[in-house]
Amino acid sequence: MATRIQFENSCEVGVFSKLTNAYCLVAIGGSENFYSMFEAEFADVIPVVKTSIAGTRIIGRLCAGNKNGLLLPHTTTDQELQHLRNSLPDQVVVQRIEERLSALGNCIACNDHVSLTHPDLDRETEELIADVLGVEVFRQTIAGNILVGSYCAISNTGGLVHPHTSIEDLDELSTLLQVPLVAGTVNRGSEVIAAGMTVNDWTAFCGSDTTATELSVIESVFKLREARPSSIVDEMRKSLIDSYV
Amino acid sequence: MRLEKCWFCSSTIYPGHGIQFVRNDAKIFRFCRSKCHKNFKMKRNPRKVKWTKAYRRLHGKDMTQDSTFEFERKRNRPERYDRNVTEMTLKAIKKIDKIRVTREAQHHKMRMKGKKAIEQEAAIKELENSINLVKAPAALQQGSEITLPKIKVKVSQSQAVGERMEE
Repeated sequence: MATRIQFENSCEVGVFSKLTNAYCLVAIGGSENFYSMFEAEFADVIPVVKTSIAGTRIIGRLCAGNKNGLLLPHTTTDQELQHLRNSLPDQVVVQRIEERLSALGNCIACNDHVSLTHPDLDRETEELIADVLGVEVFRQTIAGNILVGSYCAISNTGGLVHPHTSIEDLDELSTLLQVPLVAGTVNRGSEVIAAGMTVNDWTAFCGSDTTATELSVIESVFKLREARPSSIVDEMRKSLIDSYV
Repeated sequence: MRLEKCWFCSSTIYPGHGIQFVRNDAKIFRFCRSKCHKNFKMKRNPRKVKWTKAYRRLHGKDMTQDSTFEFERKRNRPERYDRNVTEMTLKAIKKIDKIRVTREAQHHKMRMKGKKAIEQEAAIKELENSINLVKAPAALQQGSEITLPKIKVKVSQSQAVGERMEE
């Protein structure tokens, strides 16, 4: 289910939160509204952790992670690192990386199996990504933009990319990532998809400026729509029925 | 808060001190005081500047390889907080510090070993060569001793005690 929320009057929810299948990181805001939206959704399912990275609130763009691990920039303080390690489950490997490009959320887009990275990333970082996150790493650009982490949002079931991605690019990315992709916008036409929304396998949160059309596109590509019996049968008819008598 | 090392002299930088310089390739240089900062701006190589740790390590004045240095490495993969481990670590830090200090003192001692013997030899040679500065040649001819004779002075017991009380 896709929900519209705001962080202190800003619609860029992907900047202030990081959502994965195993945990959720939330920035520390003045009021608890933002945090309570996530808490209400995920109370007992996955841990919702309030944190800062390098003393800032833009945590969604600084860190990259999936259910296997979390990568943090070298600017993360020791105390923040320890807090994250204590709050996250043991299966999640928390690792700080020494890397020139420190906004890892803008440079790395990943789901649980595959990831797209900034073409200028160090080789050691690439190996660390493959090791910590347990994913296959592809150096790619999206619509000519090197900041792949900010111009696409992917989950295990689908992905949304920059609206100006050409169809060939879309096909290529789709075969690389093995998920259906759609070129669309978020927050009333904003091209920076990952900054405007955050998604995991069963929920998505978008900025409050997101139009109903954008929301329906998101729900359909990430397969978040409420499963009604008829829709399931419709989709699976071909595989369920062997032959018509 | 983290206690960093100065890039130039390798001393610890405490909070509120020094300057950080971030170069265009995103490398961070931290300096403990303006002395190190100015030396850096003059493009001096710390390995050639005598008072820095880099020079001292390179030229064998200070200990280079030791297992106690391994404990101060920066770690990027933290472990879950455990109270007992933390307690033990704090105790261990104190002990490791003590051990490192004693090892450094030993290294210094080894380095300075034999210095006294060399100094003594040099002193004797100088005395032989330049005795004319101290004793006139005529006096030497009378008695060729180049050292002063020892004179014994008798001091009574009560006098010695009296002196100590005055102090």
